Order: sequence, then structure tokens, then C-alpha cells
Amino acid sequence: MTSHTDLIPAAASGSNASHGARRGKRRDKPNPLLGLSHVALAFWALLVVVPLIWTFLDAFKGAGEITGGNPWALPHSWHFDAFTRAWSKAHIGQYLLNTAFVVAVSTFFTMLLGSMAAYVLARFQFVGNRFIYLLFVSGMTFPVFLALVPLFGVVKQLGMLNSYVGLVLVYVAYSLPFTVFFMAAFFKTLPTTVAEAAMIDGCGHTRTFFRIMLPMAKPGLISIAIFNVIGQWNQYLLPLVLLAGKPDKWMITQGVANISVSAGADSDWPALFAALSIAIIPVIIVYIIFQRQIQSGLTAGAVK
Amino acid sequence: MAQIVLQDVDKIYAGGVKAVDALSLEIRDGEFMVLVGPSGCGKSTALRMIAGLEDISGGTVSIGERVVNDLAPKDRDIAMVFQNYALYPHMTVEDNLAFGLKLRGTPKPEIKKRVADAAKMLGLEPYLKRKPAALSGGQRQRVAMGRAIVREPQAFLMDEPLSNLDAKLRVSMRASLNQLHERLGVTTVYVTHDQVEAMTLGDRVCVLRDGKLQQVDTPQRLFDAPVNLFVAGFIGSPSMNFVTAKLERDGVSFAGFKLPVPADVFETKPGLSGYAGKEIILGIRPSDFEDAAHAKPDWALIDVTSTVTEELGSEINVIFAIDAPPVEHKDTLALAKDATEGEEEETAIPLLDNKALWTARVNARSRVRPGQSLELAIDTHSMHFFDPESGLAIGHPDTPRV
Repeated sequence: MTSHTDLIPAAASGSNASHGARRGKRRDKPNPLLGLSHVALAFWALLVVVPLIWTFLDAFKGAGEITGGNPWALPHSWHFDAFTRAWSKAHIGQYLLNTAFVVAVSTFFTMLLGSMAAYVLARFQFVGNRFIYLLFVSGMTFPVFLALVPLFGVVKQLGMLNSYVGLVLVYVAYSLPFTVFFMAAFFKTLPTTVAEAAMIDGCGHTRTFFRIMLPMAKPGLISIAIFNVIGQWNQYLLPLVLLAGKPDKWMITQGVANISVSAGADSDWPALFAALSIAIIPVIIVYIIFQRQIQSGLTAGAVK
Repeated sequence: MAQIVLQDVDKIYAGGVKAVDALSLEIRDGEFMVLVGPSGCGKSTALRMIAGLEDISGGTVSIGERVVNDLAPKDRDIAMVFQNYALYPHMTVEDNLAFGLKLRGTPKPEIKKRVADAAKMLGLEPYLKRKPAALSGGQRQRVAMGRAIVREPQAFLMDEPLSNLDAKLRVSMRASLNQLHERLGVTTVYVTHDQVEAMTLGDRVCVLRDGKLQQVDTPQRLFDAPVNLFVAGFIGSPSMNFVTAKLERDGVSFAGFKLPVPADVFETKPGLSGYAGKEIILGIRPSDFEDAAHAKPDWALIDVTSTVTEELGSEINVIFAIDAPPVEHKDTLALAKDATEGEEEETAIPLLDNKALWTARVNARSRVRPGQSLELAIDTHSMHFFDPESGLAIGHPDTPRV
């Protein structure tokens, strides 16, 4: 390597022109695969962004504009009353707070229990380790729909129907498999010697986990937390079954659905899109805040 | 500070691999003990058992007067420095140093003082507010040392702490380690596979092989009086030259040479005279050769033809073939295997005509050139004799008499 780097300047200093020519040549030959992947990515970005923008724009339109002749046009004049209607008449404001509360609590417990389980499964050898891990992972293959009826029965028997305790427990249960699967893989990549150093420095297992390993796992924790927040925020089926009887406790998804369902053909389309916008914005904010944290590798500097 | 005593310590892994086999070792209060051996010899496992990071399968480990077999690492009052530093990446250097003290409920002013002292000692003061990611390898290594020092533990355990540093830094860190030990006087157990580190750092060096203790002694004694072929070949660089030779009352003959054995050699090695007329394995250190032109007049002379010369500036290594096959003893084969890092297929160079290659270290003023003949002088007082069956040094005080 060193002889290489020594040679290049010597050769280049003799003929600057040829050096420039070589560089030009490289620019003329773009990698066709790279170009293709950029086209594909641009197409995908359009697929994601266009419906989002359309939703936001429609929230500002008048009632007739959305179903009228030119659905793709910009609003004729900007109406803000759809947001007011959604917030107060359709109780989206209330549902937003409900959802924020439930998702905050259930994500917290999902992350806490999931990372603890994953750490033990990833780091400790004991009889049954593999079995428990596979049990968690098999939970990922289990469709929610199949369990709805018995789940309703179980929650009802426990007296937790129409309560947030019941909903949070079910959310946590459904989120744990992927969280454990992901975090176990993540903990396996962390250096074992750092945990050993902590043990020698005076930590027990609990303190090693909370003071050392968990902070080191921050990039993984944040990724999976975003995933869980989005998944639980958008959950419709479970609250529909578990909170049906108490409209004041509904989640935001139920509120949005209610706008379109309740009025039938006379649906208040702008209010629906306004409600949708209100539902989407918090998720985007959460993502923007945390995605920066994902990128910074936190184990840098721990070990050689 | 305390002594560390290992009594018949075993480590058997699941699957029956015996990593450490009945290891008994007494590390004295304030001593710098180096555990050395080829990879897989159990030296790191032994250290980790002292630290409490590995369960002890048999025997006892005591630190101070306390048997610590069932104590958690945090209760053993030891500090460890890891090969890969194992710093806490999310904490600043200062927090890394203070972490162990905080956990032990040390009063804040005391923590501050100790961290400041350690930082000063290791030259870490400018970096206290940085995170490990913003430090160079040598600086991280010093933080790892500092983390051990601030604790003021009974003993330091170090697991190849210098092996990730580049060669130059390693030499200077070795010197600093020596100074630190002088200054702090804390009992230290140091694991390395680098025999130069072992020789320069250790008050005593413990050579391990396949989990078994081979010899514990001061570096100089290990060099001068290795207990068996393995230690003889492992300690010293370039390593000792071996040949199967025939011992007579008046000398030892091999490969067409006959070297006189001085009478005092027979006296200092009891039992050696019993081998007269029998085959033995002869060992001669490269440093016990000299170009005849620069040697003492009473040294024995042999004529050889140099194959390769390595000019190191201060001396020249002359590599030459002797008219005898290489010694094939389990000890020497184990060393050869270690030199090729366990890949049995790849021995360095295919030997010509199955002849052993020897190395002689001669004065830099010697005019020897590759392919030329050379008259070499040998210090016959420093020859080593080994039993060809057991590989044990003949007449060594630590080996059973035959």
C-alpha cells in the first residue's frame, strides 16, 4: 500500500494532463447499476410522497373540490375549517391525546421488556434459551386476525375490556416478538468485554444492563422504538375490538374511520383528510427527531 | 495489595476441553507476574478465572487471604485491563475513570482527587471531557489503565493490553507500565503471547502450555535454565537451536562436529554424566555463538557455511544448515505449530535435504556474507542438554533426577 501511494504523486507530477484526462474518463462512464437504483429510488420516493402531499392539500379544499372534476388540482382557496370540524366535532383532538398516551405507555413497556428479554437471550447460556427465543420469534408469524375472537374473550374474562390497561397489554404482547428478535441480534453485536469491564468495576447484572449495555444499544433501541410507535399508532383492528364500547376512549384511527363511516355518502371529505393529516403529523415528527440518533454509531471507541 | 494464590485450578469447558489443568501458582504481594504461552495455552482463561469472569471447575483461587471462588467479580477487589480496552463508549473519559468509584460509593471529593491524579499520571488531562471515540488507540489504552488505577485495587489483571498498539507505541507503553508498577507496587498479573513483553515486564514469568504450568521463574533464569525443550524454544528470540547429539565423557558430537563439554558443566548438571554414551538433545542459543574473529579465545570452534544473513545493525543473525535432521520432539513440534499459527500444513520453508537450520547471532563487525564459509565460536559453558524421551532439561534443579 505505501509503495502505491508513494508512486502515484511521482507519476502524476510528470504529466498533469494525462492525470486530468484519466479523471475525465471516469466521469464519462457512470455506473449503469447506480443509475438504475437511483431511478428506482426516485420512483419509490414519489409513491410515498405524492399521497402524503395530496392528503395534506385535500384537507384545505372545499367539500366539492375533492370529489369534483379535478381532484389533482391545488385548492381554489385555502379553507382551514376542516381542521376545526375534525378537531371539535369529530373529537380528533381527544383521540389524538388518547392515542399518544396509550402508544407512549405501551412503547415504553415494549422497549423495556423486549430489550431485557433480548439481552438475556442474546448473552446468557441456559437450558431453554433457544426454546424461549424461538417461542418469541414464532409470535411474529402469528396473524392478528386469527386471534381476534379468542383475544376478545380473554380480555373480557380478565375484566379489561374497554380499558387502556387491556389495550396496552395486548399492544405490548403483539410488539414483543419483533422487538426481541431485533434487539437480540443487536445485543449480540455489542462487545462482551465492555459488560465484563462493568462487572469488574462493580456492577451487578441489572446495573450492567441499564447503565452500560442499554446506552450502548441506543441506535438499535431507537430504530425499533420508531417501528413500534408507528405500528401501534396505526393500529386499528385491536382498538376496534377492545375499545368498541367506550367512544370517549377511542384511538385516533377509530376517530378517522368514524368520520368516513358515520356520514355514509355525505361524508365530510375535507374533515376526513384533515383528521388524517393530524394523525400523520405526530408520527413524522417522532421519526424526524429520532432518525438522527440512529445514524450515530454508539459503540465507536468502546473497543479497538 | 495482596498475594494471589492458585491451588490446583482446573477449567473444563462444556464439551470436555481442559483449558487449564491443575495450575498451582503463587503470585507474591506486589509482584509483576507474566503469564506467557502460545495461543490456546490457557493463560487468558487463568486470568479470567482470577477475575471471576469464568467459573472455576476445580481447585481454589485466593486473593489476599480470601478464597474467592464463589465471589462475583465486583467483590474481588481487582481491576482488569482488556486487550480491546472495553471503554464505556457513551461516557466521557472522566466518567469512564470515575464509574467504578461511583458504584462503590466513594465520596465525591475523593473521586475527583483520584481521577485527577490518575489523569495526571497518564497524561490524560486534556482529554477528560472527550468520549472514547475521539481518542487515539494509545489514549484509549491509557484510559483503560486509568480506570484500573483509580480503583486502587488489590491487584491489576491485564489481558494482552498492548497487543492492539502499533510496534513503536507498544515499546513506550511497555516502559510506562514498568514505571507504573514501580510507583504503585500493586500485585499485577499480566497475560501476553509476546515473549519480549514477558521478559521485559515480569518480575517472574510463568510459561504455560496446553493449560499446564511449564516453569515459573525470573526472566533471566528462564533464559539461562529452561526446564524443558518447550520453554527453551519458546523463550528467547531467535529461538534456541536444537540437534540430536551423542554425549561422551569428553564432549558432545553431532552433524560431524565434536564440542568439548567443560568439566564444570557436568558438575552443575547432576545426572548429566549418566547420559555418557547415550543420545541427548543438545540446545545452543544463537547468542552463545560468535564469529571466531571476535570471540573469546577459549570458545570451541566449528566451520559452517552461512545460508542467509540478517543484518540488524547492532548484530547479524547468520542462518546456516547443519548436517543433521531437525529434532522431532513433541515439544519442538508444538513450537513450530505455534509459529505458523496452528496451520500445520504451512511450515515456513521446505527444508533442504531434511537438514536443520540453525541461527547464530554474531558481532556486527563480522564480515560474513550469504553463501560464505564462516568459523563460529561456541560458548560451551552455556550449552543445554535435554532428555530425548521426556524433553526435560538434564540436571535442572526443578526436574526429577533420572
